[in-house]
Parts: sequence; structure tokens; C-alpha cells
Amino acid sequence: MKKNRLDENHRPERRTFLKAAAGFMGSTLLGGLPFRSFAQAASLAPADRCFVFVYFNGGWDQLLAFDPKDPDEFTADRAAETRILPGYNLINDARFSAIPLRPEKSGVGRSNIDFGPAVGKLSEHFDLMTVVRGINMNTLGHEVGYRYFLTGKMPIGSAARGSSTATEIVGQMKPRVPISNIAFNVESYNDRYPGYANALRVSRKDDLLLTLKPSSQMLDSEIEKQLVDFRGQPITCEEAAYGARGVGTTYQNSRDQMQQVMAQKLEESFKFELNTPEMAAVRAAYGLDQSGRYDTEAGRAAMVGTALKRGIAQCLTINLTGGLDTHFGTQLTHANNQRRGFDALASLVADLRASGHPSGGTFMDHTTIMVFSEFSRTPLINSAGGRDHHISNSCMLMGAGVKHNYVFGKSGDIGMSPGTFDLRTGALDPRGENIFPEHIIATVLASAGLDYSITRVNPLRPILA
Amino acid sequence: MRRVLLTAALLALSAGCNKSSEEKPGPTLDGQLEPVANPHQPGDFDPLPDPEEQGGSVGRAPRRLTVSQLDAAILEAVGRRWVNGGDGIDARASSLGRADFALVSSENTEPNLVFAKFLEDGARFVCIAQAADEVKQADASKRTLSRTLPGTWDDLRKLTDAQVREFLVYNSLRFWGAPLEGEELTKWAGFFTQASARAETAKRRADALAVTCIAMLTDSRFITY
Repeated sequence: MKKNRLDENHRPERRTFLKAAAGFMGSTLLGGLPFRSFAQAASLAPADRCFVFVYFNGGWDQLLAFDPKDPDEFTADRAAETRILPGYNLINDARFSAIPLRPEKSGVGRSNIDFGPAVGKLSEHFDLMTVVRGINMNTLGHEVGYRYFLTGKMPIGSAARGSSTATEIVGQMKPRVPISNIAFNVESYNDRYPGYANALRVSRKDDLLLTLKPSSQMLDSEIEKQLVDFRGQPITCEEAAYGARGVGTTYQNSRDQMQQVMAQKLEESFKFELNTPEMAAVRAAYGLDQSGRYDTEAGRAAMVGTALKRGIAQCLTINLTGGLDTHFGTQLTHANNQRRGFDALASLVADLRASGHPSGGTFMDHTTIMVFSEFSRTPLINSAGGRDHHISNSCMLMGAGVKHNYVFGKSGDIGMSPGTFDLRTGALDPRGENIFPEHIIATVLASAGLDYSITRVNPLRPILA
Repeated sequence: MRRVLLTAALLALSAGCNKSSEEKPGPTLDGQLEPVANPHQPGDFDPLPDPEEQGGSVGRAPRRLTVSQLDAAILEAVGRRWVNGGDGIDARASSLGRADFALVSSENTEPNLVFAKFLEDGARFVCIAQAADEVKQADASKRTLSRTLPGTWDDLRKLTDAQVREFLVYNSLRFWGAPLEGEELTKWAGFFTQASARAETAKRRADALAVTCIAMLTDSRFITY
């Protein structure tokens, strides 16, 4: 007796149905392939809408990133008055510009967005970006800050409240990808969705490979085939009774999905060190060597790009770079650490822009990227040569669903204080409101037409495309 | 007149009370059980759902084992924990669904892809290791999976059909708490016999035992209750 698969989380699409119909017709005409073979023939498809949340760990210096200030205006002589010292001249490295970047692109024109020197080549993708400035973080604590940005809800004490935004998206969209939500070396929370929305939390690429690669311990190859065939046999009434409702069906579907993932050898997609043309292209795109040690910003970006393009995941939250909590040291140290992250992100964006999505357009047309840090660093340099924690922040959104080449909000010209704005227009308004992380999260959710009521605020509508 | 009516009503009431006491059953006879009134009345409880409306099953839907239950169940069924150096059930507990009550506040018992994959990994580790040990163990009472097999078991093709069935029924009870029977037992017997034949040819005798263990441990009856 073959049971009917009725999984509440499984939503067949028209494409799947057509594939199944074609497979069934083919198997009938060709003498009857086993049902399992044709079921496995359907390959994975990328999600129609993908999200990447990129976390810069430690609290970034936004003067070097998305909220630069003109060093000719904010000079050391005026620092006592403005309480701002960009300090670009203190970096002393030819790789970093001494003035904010304002790139130009043929066919697009000049950027409306100024970028700090650390952003580097990522600034060339300004034509896909919206930058939000003058965000009030309401905290100077690392854990509170990043949990606030991950969830769009102010933590209780330091404990996160609500679900991560990625979990919220997956919970609402119920995508049909093998591992819908991956959190790479970053926390993830789920407070109201079933398990399918949980993130697979990995701390290294190898953890992800553990899920994708076949078991290391194998039986004799012929016995392995016998096991596969035995599992594929029509099930008995006894088994059907246990699997008639809920868990049994879901488990069976998961096992089939696992077989599909294993059959596609997806872990091979992450072996960037392999001597194949495909991997050589990945290494060239992300600037990787052939050492096999890819626990770097570029390696992580390559993993994100591969997971999206191969249809393995829909939402990825990644701790891309760290070492930004620079209370001591030089401006160069912080700029270098940021630059590694932005260079890797630039490679990811270039890769997604160059890769066609099966639904049409490029992957960037189907992907929204949010780049954030828990707070920023003080606009003045402290006595130890570093910068301390600062409450005002900025972030960057790019790709699908958001306006391009656009700036919303502004930090103050004295001490880079959080601004007050008319949030319906983005105009400065002394009687307006602060921009908080929940506004950014509501905007990300609204950009995909999702329910943002959990944030209890309206999205920043001028940002929405 | 009112007093007459009141008196008549009291007399009627007392007669009613006397009548009910008269209906009380007399003392029980020796050896006769005291009758117990049914404490439940219609309306006190919800009747069981109609099986026809629930795909032929009655009662609550099956649930997946939690990680702690799974750990204990593997130990009980196979005879060893899934611990492989730094890897194993403890290392993969959060991916299998265990709550840490800091970031995740409730156990996830959904048998998703990650659970299915990791259970497969765990089943292979414990079953292959246990089968390899049991091949060397001559004392049947010290074995777990092959306790019903002859003292020193060698070529599994020599087992009679009755021995194969005894082995499978014993292990299905170990893994699922329900014996294999009927058509399904015949199917499993065919699978075991086929695997035994191949194991001898490939000179990997323990694989026949291991594959049966893996198939039972990854069956939905093992992970549900």
C-alpha cells in the first residue's frame, strides 16, 4: 500500500507538478522507471526571493563605512565644536582614500551616496543600494545591539525578544529549499514558528558540509543499494498507521529530500579547492586560493553565494567580519578589518549580479541584502587612538524590493547624533521621530510583501521600490 | 387548609425517601463483588474521534522523540551511545532540535531534513560499531542485536527461516516495541537474507547485522511514540 503524502509544510508548485507529470509520462513510455528515480530527478530550484543579512561584528566606525563626513569641513581644528573627527588622514595607507568615495558608473551617473574609505570596491554597486543614516540604537551594549538588529525588537535586558528576521521571513514564506534558513556564526531565534523556520546554525563551512555530504561510514556498496531499494518499497499498513498523520509523513518527506540532496552531491559545490573549471571560477570570483582553508571573509561570502545559487538556502544570516571593537590601536586596524568584509561582500554582489536566476533576471534581482552592525564608534578618537561605542548607527540595504542609489536619514553635524525625521518622507523634522532598527526590519519585511506587524511600526515607505 | 396541604406534602416526601432506601441493594453475598456505579455519564467526556475521519487511526497523532529520548532510545535499542570523539548526539543536539533555553526556548521535534540526515549518520555509527563488536562476541547473552542467533554465528546464510524471523521479531520489539508480523515480516526476512548473502560474498559479515539495525533505527516507528 503506497500512502499518500500529505505534509502541511509541503506546497507543490505548478513547475513541480509539470516535472512530475513529465516524469510519469516518460517512465510509462520508457518501460516504467522506479517511482523513486523519477522523483529524485527533479532538481533543486533557488527560492524566488532570497535574503542575506550581513553582520559586521564589534560595532563599526560608520565614518569609514556608510556615513562618512567631509574631512575638509570636519577638521581637527573644529573638532571641539563639531565633536566629529573623520581621521582619514590617520590611516596612512594608499589603499584607503583620504576623502569619501562617490563613484560614477556609465549609464547610471554619479552616486547619490557617499561612502567611507573602507567600503572600497563595494561602492561600485551603489546603483543597487539604499543607505539609512541617523539610526538610534538605544544601546551601547554589543549583545543588546546585534540582537536588536537581528530581531527588530529591543531585547529585554540582554535577552533577545521575538524571532530573528530570517526566521520570520522563512516562517511566513515557507520556502521549498532544503535548508531554508542558515545562520553562520551568529545567533538565531524562533519564538512563534514551527521547526521548519529554525535556522541551521553553523560556525564553520565544514558544519554545513556535514549536513550535505553522505555519511562517512558506509556499508558494502551492494548492501547500500539493497538498503535504498528496501526503503523505497511500498510501505505496509503497519507503517502507514504510524505515518498516517503529521510526523511520519514529514519524516518520510525529509528522508526523500535528504536522498535528493545527497544524490546531487551538493557538498561538492562547497569544495572550492577542487581543480575543476567551476571551482576555478568561484576562486577567481572571490579571490580565493587553493589551500582549502576558507574560514575567511571571502570564503564565507563564497559559501553564501553558492548556497543561494544552488538553491540550498533562502535566508542566510552571516557574521562576515569581526575585530571592529577597536577601543585601542590605529585607524588603519579598523579600516583594514572593515575592508576585508566589504571586499568579500563586493565579490558576493558581483557574483550574484553576474548569475542568471532561473525565474529571469539576475540573482541580485531576487535577493535583498541587509548590512548592519550593533552600533557605531564615537566620532571623536579617544586618548588610546581608538574609538568607543556610539549610539547613532547606519545600515545598508540593497537589491530586490528597495529603492536604488538612495539615502534615507542623516546623522547630526554635531557629534553624529541620531536625527529626527518625518518617516513618511525622510525629511529632517525637529518634531519628527527617530529611526530605530524596527523600522529597518519592517522595511525589509514589507519589501517582500510580508507581514511586518510584529515590529509594531510602519516601514520606511520612501525606501520601498 | 394550608396545614393539611403542608402535612400531606411532608408525608409524600417522606414516603419518597423511604422508597429510595428500600431500593438499596442488600448486603453482598460471600465472594460477590461490591457493585461499583459507573462514575462517567454521557456528556462527561469527549468520545474518541471517528477513525474513518482520521485516516484509520485513533487517538493523538504520533510525536517525534526529543533529543534526550532519542539518546536514551539508541542506547537501549542498540546498546551504545552515539558518541564519536567530538562528534555525536551531544555535538549535534541543537541541530537535532534540543532547546538551549537561552536562544531557543522550546524543543523542536520536527523530523526535518537535518534531523533525517543526522539520524542517518548516528544510525550508521552505532549500528556498524555494534555489529562489528557482536561478530567477535561468542557469548550470545552479552550481545544486543544478535542475542537470538547461535552462540558463534558465522555464515548468516545458514540460518533457518525460523531463526531469521525470530531475530527480526526480537529486534523489532527492541527498536519499536511492536513485533514484525505477517507480510511485513516476510519482507524484512527477504531483506535480511539478501543482505546476508551479499555480506558473505563481500566478506563483510557484520554488514548484514548493521544494515538491519540501520533500517530499523531510521524507521519512523523508532523515532515516534
